[in-house]
Amino acid sequence: MAMPFSISADAPPAQLRLSGVMRLAKLLFGTPLNAALTLVFGGLLVVTVPAIMRWAVMDAVLFDPDPKACRAATGACWSFIYTKSGQLLFGIYPLDERWRPATVCLMILALLAWSVRPASWTPRLLAVWVAALALIFWLMGGGCGLTEVPTSSWGGLPVTLILTVVAIGVAFPVSILLALARRSTMPVLRTAAVILIESVRGLPLLSILFVASIMMPLFLPEALLPDKFTRALVALTVFAAAYLAEVVRGGLQAIPKGQYEAAAALGLPFWRTQYLVILPQAIRIAIPALANTIIVMIKNTSLVLVVGLFDLISSGKAALADPEWPSPAAETFLFIGAIFFALSFSFARFADFLERRGPAAH
Amino acid sequence: MLSDAKTRSIFIQGALVVFFVGFLALMLTTTFANLRARGIPIGFDFLKLPSRIVISEAILTYRTRDPYYWAIVTGVANTVFISALVIMFSSVLGLLVGIARLSSNPLAAGSCRVWVELARNTPPIVLLIFLYSLWWKVLPPVGEALNPLPGVYASMRGLEVPGVSIDVGTTGLLVVALALAAAVASWIAMRKGRLSPLAALAALATAVAGLWLADIRFSVDLPVFKGSNFHGGAELTPELSTILIGLTIYTTGFVAEIVRGGVLSVGRGQWDAGHSLGLPRGKILRLIVIPQMLRVIVLPLNSQYINVVKNSTLAIAVGYPDFLAVMNTIISKSSHSIEGVFIILGVYLALNLTLSSAANWYNRRIAIVER
Repeated sequence: MAMPFSISADAPPAQLRLSGVMRLAKLLFGTPLNAALTLVFGGLLVVTVPAIMRWAVMDAVLFDPDPKACRAATGACWSFIYTKSGQLLFGIYPLDERWRPATVCLMILALLAWSVRPASWTPRLLAVWVAALALIFWLMGGGCGLTEVPTSSWGGLPVTLILTVVAIGVAFPVSILLALARRSTMPVLRTAAVILIESVRGLPLLSILFVASIMMPLFLPEALLPDKFTRALVALTVFAAAYLAEVVRGGLQAIPKGQYEAAAALGLPFWRTQYLVILPQAIRIAIPALANTIIVMIKNTSLVLVVGLFDLISSGKAALADPEWPSPAAETFLFIGAIFFALSFSFARFADFLERRGPAAH
Repeated sequence: MLSDAKTRSIFIQGALVVFFVGFLALMLTTTFANLRARGIPIGFDFLKLPSRIVISEAILTYRTRDPYYWAIVTGVANTVFISALVIMFSSVLGLLVGIARLSSNPLAAGSCRVWVELARNTPPIVLLIFLYSLWWKVLPPVGEALNPLPGVYASMRGLEVPGVSIDVGTTGLLVVALALAAAVASWIAMRKGRLSPLAALAALATAVAGLWLADIRFSVDLPVFKGSNFHGGAELTPELSTILIGLTIYTTGFVAEIVRGGVLSVGRGQWDAGHSLGLPRGKILRLIVIPQMLRVIVLPLNSQYINVVKNSTLAIAVGYPDFLAVMNTIISKSSHSIEGVFIILGVYLALNLTLSSAANWYNRRIAIVER
């Protein structure tokens, strides 16, 4: 049978050696169920793949920068993406200064790639990130020799990346405190943590973003009112902190009681016990789950467009509004989807790698 | 004094309470001052006023002169409707895709893997906007509507699907409710062993007779193209169809992974043991594998269902008026932002708590009973 959990009696005898083609044919048509599956899925592919190929490659306009070529063609208009790539990636950021967001994107991606190596998980990593973020905000915002660019003109990929990185970076220490509070023996502290974590986790991110943009102007004095970018960042951080707190709590629960007792026997006070003994082990256990939460956050930053922030989707929509072009919406959103896919797919493979490796011994 | 653990704990908690109360008080006074400065009254009285907001489509009947509370109920109904349909579709599809991913057939396993990876690594809002942009590009005008399944038509105007209407009067409805209650009660009593099978049978027979008396008529109404329009059936607008299709594609990817994990968690030894007892495949699946798999998948599956409710807020991206979109309009129209925010929080917490307590109840029922 083709069922995945078929019993060993169904397996072919070992001496049966089939050539590659034969083996494939057996896999595809060996049993009635497999033959049926092959027909169904093969049929679907035969119907869809040629049509998609014709649209995406054969009839498509690839590099011709003239909008007329796109109007004439029946296929995809990739030259729009090619011509407008600057606007798609960086939104309404001033044209002459585009090298700045470009540098920022490369910096963040390079730093991410460097940080995911288990070898770089040392306290130095934190210092590097803090320094890098200061540099990033200076590059994006300007001042001290660079032209100033307000956050309302930031757009595209750097906004997505900065929101993700800063929200997770600020949320992570907060989430450790929340997780410790939730496991505390003090009832007031525990209740406060439970209420905060569970109500944030019970709400859609979109409603938190709305609440942040509706409520903040009301309960903050006018002078302290942050701009749209900061408001979205606060909402994303609160959201990430609640989810990360549960992941960290999972790691804390996996630490055997003996570790606490050993630390107590050494006479370590609470915070030193946590910092030196418990947290290093708990976080190591929680790393695969943390990586998954980070993927969720990468995807979630795409929601900030709803509160009027200029992320990748909004810059795509703005580019589409150009009346000279035939408004190739599907191509644009495919391109944006591909960027998000590349980011989170590579992070997902990294999470798989961590899971296979298992928690490190030390 | 602070070296004593108990004193210190009381001191810290006291400080915490003072901090929270102070923070809350500060927040509320600023808020009220801000509201007074803008001349906005506070209170839930506005709910009874006519809303005059437009809700472009609704499952319930809604007119613009209806009061605010009815607009909110309409929004909640839309959200529940989307969530329920997406949960239903993605559970069935996710089961199929999850099992097909484990198939030995490379074509089936590969195609399903592509689906799962695409769904899991793309933001749902990008998926929705992409699908919405395809709607007018791919689909023909209403006269040349595609007919992929009998009774289902797809065109620029939306999806036409068979409508199901249940015809039952008010008295009939009462009889149905009583009959169902009798059936459930006798079933529970029988499971607890407090009712003889004969009495239970009698109760069930009464229930069935009640249902028959209620004279329910199901009628399926197929859409038919006549002149320049479809008649009969139910019409789903492009917006609603996009959300249903997009969220189903997205959620199926996650459900499939949970199902796959569940199947893999049941060891091959369980199948071997079933075979050695001489059980046929169907019975092994039903009696041995599925009960064990359910234990593994119930809770993660439920958190996906809760995610569906949360993701239904993305309807706003294609302009379908779900609960959050309606609330957003109400807040900007009535300026009752504090009350609006409380209603938003209350409704989503209530929906999610209902789902998770149902799952916890079910989970307790199927959990391993240890001696």
